Amino acid sequence: MKFWGTRLGSIVLAVAGCYLLQTIFQGNPGMNRLVVLACLWVTLSVSLNLINGITGQFSIGHAGFWMTGAYISGVIMKFQPQLKSMPAMQLLLLMMLIAFIGTGIMGLLVGLPSLRLKGDYLAIVTLGFGEILRIVVNASEPIGGSYGLFVEPKVNSIFIAAMLAVITIAACRNLLQTAHGLEFLSVREDEVASQAMGVNNTTIKVVAFVIGAAFAGAAGAVFAHLEGFISPTSFPMAFSFIVLTMVVLGGTGSITGSVVAAIVLFAIPEYLRGMSVNGEPLRFTLAGFVAFAIAGIGALALAKYTQDRVHDSKGKLIRYIGAVVGAIVVTGVFAAIFRNIPALGGKEIGVDQIRYVIFSLVLIAVMLLRPQGVFGHHEFGWHWFKSKKSQETVA
Amino acid sequence: MIGEWTPLIAGLEFSILPQQLANGILLGSIYALIALGYTMVYGVLRLINFAHGEVFMLGAYTALLVSWKLGFTQENVAQHPDINGSILTLVLLLFCSMAVCGIVGVVIELLAYRPMRNQPRIAALITAIGVSLFLQYSGQLFLPNSPPPSINQKVNPIQGATNIPLRKASAETLNNVSTTTAAYEAAKAAFDAQLPNEESRFQLSPTGQALKETMDEANRARTDAEATANSERVEIILPNGQIVMFFSAIALMVGLHFLVNHTKIGRGMRAASHDFDTASLMGINVNRIVTFTFFIGSALAGAGAMMNATFLGTPLTTFYGVVPGVKAFVAAVLGGIGNIRGALLGGLLMGLAEALVAWAGYANMRDAIAFLILIFVLLFKPGGLLGSAAVEKV
Repeated sequence: MKFWGTRLGSIVLAVAGCYLLQTIFQGNPGMNRLVVLACLWVTLSVSLNLINGITGQFSIGHAGFWMTGAYISGVIMKFQPQLKSMPAMQLLLLMMLIAFIGTGIMGLLVGLPSLRLKGDYLAIVTLGFGEILRIVVNASEPIGGSYGLFVEPKVNSIFIAAMLAVITIAACRNLLQTAHGLEFLSVREDEVASQAMGVNNTTIKVVAFVIGAAFAGAAGAVFAHLEGFISPTSFPMAFSFIVLTMVVLGGTGSITGSVVAAIVLFAIPEYLRGMSVNGEPLRFTLAGFVAFAIAGIGALALAKYTQDRVHDSKGKLIRYIGAVVGAIVVTGVFAAIFRNIPALGGKEIGVDQIRYVIFSLVLIAVMLLRPQGVFGHHEFGWHWFKSKKSQETVA
Repeated sequence: MIGEWTPLIAGLEFSILPQQLANGILLGSIYALIALGYTMVYGVLRLINFAHGEVFMLGAYTALLVSWKLGFTQENVAQHPDINGSILTLVLLLFCSMAVCGIVGVVIELLAYRPMRNQPRIAALITAIGVSLFLQYSGQLFLPNSPPPSINQKVNPIQGATNIPLRKASAETLNNVSTTTAAYEAAKAAFDAQLPNEESRFQLSPTGQALKETMDEANRARTDAEATANSERVEIILPNGQIVMFFSAIALMVGLHFLVNHTKIGRGMRAASHDFDTASLMGINVNRIVTFTFFIGSALAGAGAMMNATFLGTPLTTFYGVVPGVKAFVAAVLGGIGNIRGALLGGLLMGLAEALVAWAGYANMRDAIAFLILIFVLLFKPGGLLGSAAVEKV
């Protein structure tokens, strides 16, 4: 009884939460779009985490599946225009369902041959499939080719996007709670041992791949109807790397980690763009960027040194704090110096230009300092606070 | 339902096939140079150096910036039309590119890959992806990239092209060409003679009109005959610069072969690639070997980049290295990754495959063929063409 109570309660809470999100941001068109995009990034990173983190199959072709979903919806709307007479919400749900199934089939087609490979080769091949999809779409004149495709009607619904994210999270979380989920984890931990325990490795890998691809496809359909226009350049190879950064930063195998990392990494560039000083939008110059890069690399080196060579916990703490404080001070000092060099101080750079630089630095820093990601294999939840309390009482 | 798709084979011109194959081989030599870097690093460290394509990009930019320093900027060349490159300029560009790329490669290894050496291979791969993204996007902030600059063609003193005729047009066709040309000349002369008697070129008397129609008819016959002659004639036209590029690439590869097989450090490289840990136990300074491998591999990419940018004159962006990098990686896998001769073979085959795809009328698919080849090689012959049979299970 308690089980069903919790179940129903959490479902009601999730739906209510999505509805609340919708009502809060409904009136603000700018925020509205950002919230939908954030939900889509969460969906993407959680679905990639199912493949990369939970099943341990390193795939970097997620942008390809995202594009497949978007194009399935776009092509159907182009060739079946009578569907436009449907109410917008039902239409979007129908398109998401079709994109979900269609991209799942695509995931099966890609996964069956490529999942025979392991490790870095699997990574390259999934990257390759993503690129082939993009090049083929680029060359296909009937579906717009490189000119892109208009998707009618534009539907902008936070509720549906948030529900998609919640359903993706719930699907992955509930999978891990069952015996089937243990099979996925066993494939990640040791393929030989899991095979010896009677797990069909190939089936598990392909199932994970299909589910991950299908959710990405559904996100693609939402994206297509949000933007109203899609083209192969809307889904560059770099998007696969962004999703990968989110999964790696959050922790491979940690669903909450992916969610938090997706929201944070999506919000940082948007936040930087909106920052202002005394009413004027903040301008970034090359001087500041160079100063930040120098300080960042220095802090990273100090942190890595501390991690490897310093063994007393007090010294570690002092050095970590020193690295952070030093980085801030050095950034300020160097920025003030570099501002006077015309080649650096005079050149303005946009937030979009430094976005990928930040992502790449995050990727390198995480790999150097904490290869398992911020949350590692763990989930963030109430038990964090509970266990701390119990430790305190014991002490 | 979904409109008309292009037919499978869009129409093959066999007379241009030899030219396309020759282009493919020339391009393939550059792929082979880049592939050597992938294959050597993989051989020693079992690491796919994702950032190798970006090292290639930096090499091309080095050549560009050095050529600008030497005065080959767009404005300067426009002001001084007599400025011209010499062989010495080319050699200077080549050495600058090779040195800068070699140093960049060593620095990347030292800062990013060395701390990852004891981590799982996937962690190293993610670091490599991070380095690659970092170079692409931070390069955008510093390097000139919009509008994409390209190296001025005046740098290159080796102009002109070599024409290799393979088959001449038949005597009958040539005869036909000369007859129709003569007929056209005669008709034109008659029309020109009539022209002074006419009011204007556009208001002709019946006589003039008749003469004009005869002339047009003769002209049509002449162009038809010339088109037939062109399609019968088979020849290869190779720009001299690209021939030099090809032979320089081959020379560098021969040099590498000597280095690896006949010097002490080459023996160290072979030992480290055979068994990294045992090599270090046998008194080989493996760290120095790895540094050296990165230097040589990156310098070869720099040489390829300089020659590609100078002799082909492609506009540079910071994504210049992505596509050649991927193709060279595929070339390395195709030939058998870790195998130096395999990289050469794979590079040439990649160039040929690309040329054939372009020839079959799918020029916009030429980037996809690399990935298709990669997928098929990995699925059916993961060791590559020349790889050892006992390759690790990928």
